[in-house]
Amino acid sequence: MTELEAKIKAKIPGADTGIEVRRSLCAICSPSHHCGVDCYVKDGAIVRVEGTQEHPYNHGKLCTKGSSLRNYVYRADRIKTPLRRVGERGEGAFEPISWDEAYRVIAEKLNTVKEQYSPHAVAFFSGYCKWYRPVFQRFAHVFGSVNFGSDDSTCSAAKAIGDRVTAGSGAGPDMAHANTFLGWNYDGYYSAHLSVQGVQKLKARGGKVIIIDIRDTPAAKNLADRFLQINPGTDGALALGMAKLIIDNGWADLDYVEKYTHGFTEYKALCGQYPLDKVSEITGLKGEDIYEAAKLYATNGPACINYSASALVHHINGFNSHRAVLCLSALTGNFDRAGGNVPNPATYLHKPAGFRTREQEFRTNRYPGGQKRIGAERFPLWDAQFNEFQAMDLLRQLETGDPYPVKAVFALGMNAKMFPQTDRLLEAMKEKLDFFVDTDVFMTTTAQYADIVLPACTSVERGELKAYQGGYLTFTKPVIRPLYESRSDVDILCDLARVMDLDDGLLKQGYKACADWIIEGCGLTVSELEKSEFPVKVPAARWPAVPGKTLENGFKTATGKFEFCATAIADIDPKYGLDPLPSYRDSLEDQNDPQTRQDYPFYLCTGARLPHAIHSRAHETPWLRSLRPFPTCEVNPQDAGRLGLKEGGDVELYSPYGSIRVKVKLTHKIKPGVILMLHGYTEANVNLLIGRDHLDPYSGFPGFKGMRCNIRTVQEG
Amino acid sequence: MKHVFVFDPDKCCACSACMMGCMDQNDTDLSGGGRCYRQTFDSEIERDGGVYCAYLSAACMHCADAPCIDACPVGCLSKDPETGFTVYDNTNCIGCKSCALACPFGAPRYRRDGGKMVKCDGCNIRVKNGLQPACVRACSFGALTCMTEEDYAADGSGKACSALIDALTLRRK
Repeated sequence: MTELEAKIKAKIPGADTGIEVRRSLCAICSPSHHCGVDCYVKDGAIVRVEGTQEHPYNHGKLCTKGSSLRNYVYRADRIKTPLRRVGERGEGAFEPISWDEAYRVIAEKLNTVKEQYSPHAVAFFSGYCKWYRPVFQRFAHVFGSVNFGSDDSTCSAAKAIGDRVTAGSGAGPDMAHANTFLGWNYDGYYSAHLSVQGVQKLKARGGKVIIIDIRDTPAAKNLADRFLQINPGTDGALALGMAKLIIDNGWADLDYVEKYTHGFTEYKALCGQYPLDKVSEITGLKGEDIYEAAKLYATNGPACINYSASALVHHINGFNSHRAVLCLSALTGNFDRAGGNVPNPATYLHKPAGFRTREQEFRTNRYPGGQKRIGAERFPLWDAQFNEFQAMDLLRQLETGDPYPVKAVFALGMNAKMFPQTDRLLEAMKEKLDFFVDTDVFMTTTAQYADIVLPACTSVERGELKAYQGGYLTFTKPVIRPLYESRSDVDILCDLARVMDLDDGLLKQGYKACADWIIEGCGLTVSELEKSEFPVKVPAARWPAVPGKTLENGFKTATGKFEFCATAIADIDPKYGLDPLPSYRDSLEDQNDPQTRQDYPFYLCTGARLPHAIHSRAHETPWLRSLRPFPTCEVNPQDAGRLGLKEGGDVELYSPYGSIRVKVKLTHKIKPGVILMLHGYTEANVNLLIGRDHLDPYSGFPGFKGMRCNIRTVQEG
Repeated sequence: MKHVFVFDPDKCCACSACMMGCMDQNDTDLSGGGRCYRQTFDSEIERDGGVYCAYLSAACMHCADAPCIDACPVGCLSKDPETGFTVYDNTNCIGCKSCALACPFGAPRYRRDGGKMVKCDGCNIRVKNGLQPACVRACSFGALTCMTEEDYAADGSGKACSALIDALTLRRK
């Protein structure tokens, strides 16, 4: 091998090797991340991926998933051309068709449903990734439908609504100035890799870390000064109990409470119902551990809290559990204070960047009205607080046609496995829909039910607008041509707007025109952003967020204060039984009858994060899949010993709603009585076990992380 | 300049990003029987009535006195004089697996087609071109680093991979 051949084999970039480094971003996970990537490109193909050192967000770092980006992009299950179904829905038999033909069929079918029923009979639904959503939501509204929905029906929106009705906005931890970090459900190692460094720095300067989790995680081992391994689903009780200790011991910031909060008397009375012995009993924690954690958080300030996007709100008591944790921040005077939790509104697509865009106007200024959204009757707080339909009511409305029929679904990246009792949803879609179109990067279970399937490209094959912390904005460029006949989601939408001649000049002009409209006023245009391969500092950006603005100008709530007792909930018709206070209920209260307790003694928690997976979208990536080749549930050895379960053995995991076959992994990291199961596997979809009505009445979110189940061994074969 | 892999078990979480970086660099074809040169371990060790969690990442340790080099009957393995990494040229490999028997860490792997040995070479050419080994580049937590012998001596961490086993600190649960 010559020296040059060796350099090419080692993928050293340079003119001699013909390997060029081109910049893009990784969009495998949540848009609140999306790290910058260096794609090493040779002869039009990516040969290697690294994190971009110069990128202001990730500074060269990538997580496990991002490091496998090349393997993800070149997966064998990429959809290659537009497809038309030729077999039964769900059978997976398709024929390739041209883009023009696909667009013609889609336009005709959607317009037919619109004419025969109403525009609202077309539900527009977005799964991951979320980047194209402003264009998609506007498309739905311009088409005339009120029904735009997304995976936000089960992801982070419940937390956002909880924040809004309580404090007027969310507030992130100000790690750089905190003395104590209360990492409630925090495991950055698995789900937010860039956040770990902030905690390490806090510790290095003598700060203290409390980790509260149901699982003994790397954060518990590497970061925690105090680790509270809590019984799953009992976080709300712990938060109220900690509040009682804080009030009783004089650790509360009563000046702050007096000046900036609403409903303290009622909140104090609620907390009074959670004495230490009772909380210890509910949470499975030692009284002294709860006491020390509460004392550390309240007296070693300033102290900030990590609020997880899903860990708490994926319980049927989760909305109020999150609010109960949030209230600790105001009780101790840490909300909107340096080193506490500081409001920092999103600039674009969940990312705070210190400047305003017209994203929300773009999404909603063509809202047609004229009909209630799906789920509005059943989840009135959701409907009042979030401008999408609540998809957890889609199945019921499909089945009953009440209050009006849904006859078509236009989806991008729809994942039926996200829905409890997935099989029922797919069955209803098969039977009830006149037309279903799905767009995806990969052929999925859901896409197999579609009448038309469109191939989308990945982030490295397209350009997209993205804001970043620090006051940055970028418009990426494709590093390779779209594979096969795939297209960018936004180009598909804008093409269709032209084919259907929708009444919207912006959509018909295309994505860049839309992006320019959204960022107008920030001081930069798309064509200026495109000149840089890195994110550009936005002239209008003010960064970092200055603490105290909310205290000075008032909270964006009805009373202008932090509301322990939320007016927005009190305004909901009392017949729904929603409590304005963050009261605690059992997370299995709909399954606690003696027979169900006896038949399904285990607490099933699905979706606890592992570093190689994100929902279902990474499971079929060979390098990632090799880390855990089989769908596997985690069981405490004590339970395993009692039931005769062996490491690596085959078991059936079942609930009253369904069952799956998986392997067993024994682990001391969870308590006896708890079973963990990662979600999103096609061959072992654990959401089959979650009851369709096992939902939090405040948000409509399913109790993914709290469900009764049982386990038994099965024989090979 | 000789280089040393350094591993800090207090920063590792076995997330396996290092493995992804390694497979990306080495075009590991799992369906063709290939295996990643690096391996992570998420281990629970029961001892004295308690349970210890250990998160590890390991590959070829690039031992100073590498037993695989002497074990190879056809001289495939050698030390790169510049980087100090244990490198190989498997042109003459006969697939006898003597190197694997000699290696205490199971670093050598064998191709399914032809049975020739392959292993971690420390990303020798990357390092010679001023780049980090792929696994180090992929580590977000500072658990896995690669430094020159001089920097390692000055650093004083004592956490060179070859000293990994001794340096393992296990926290009681």
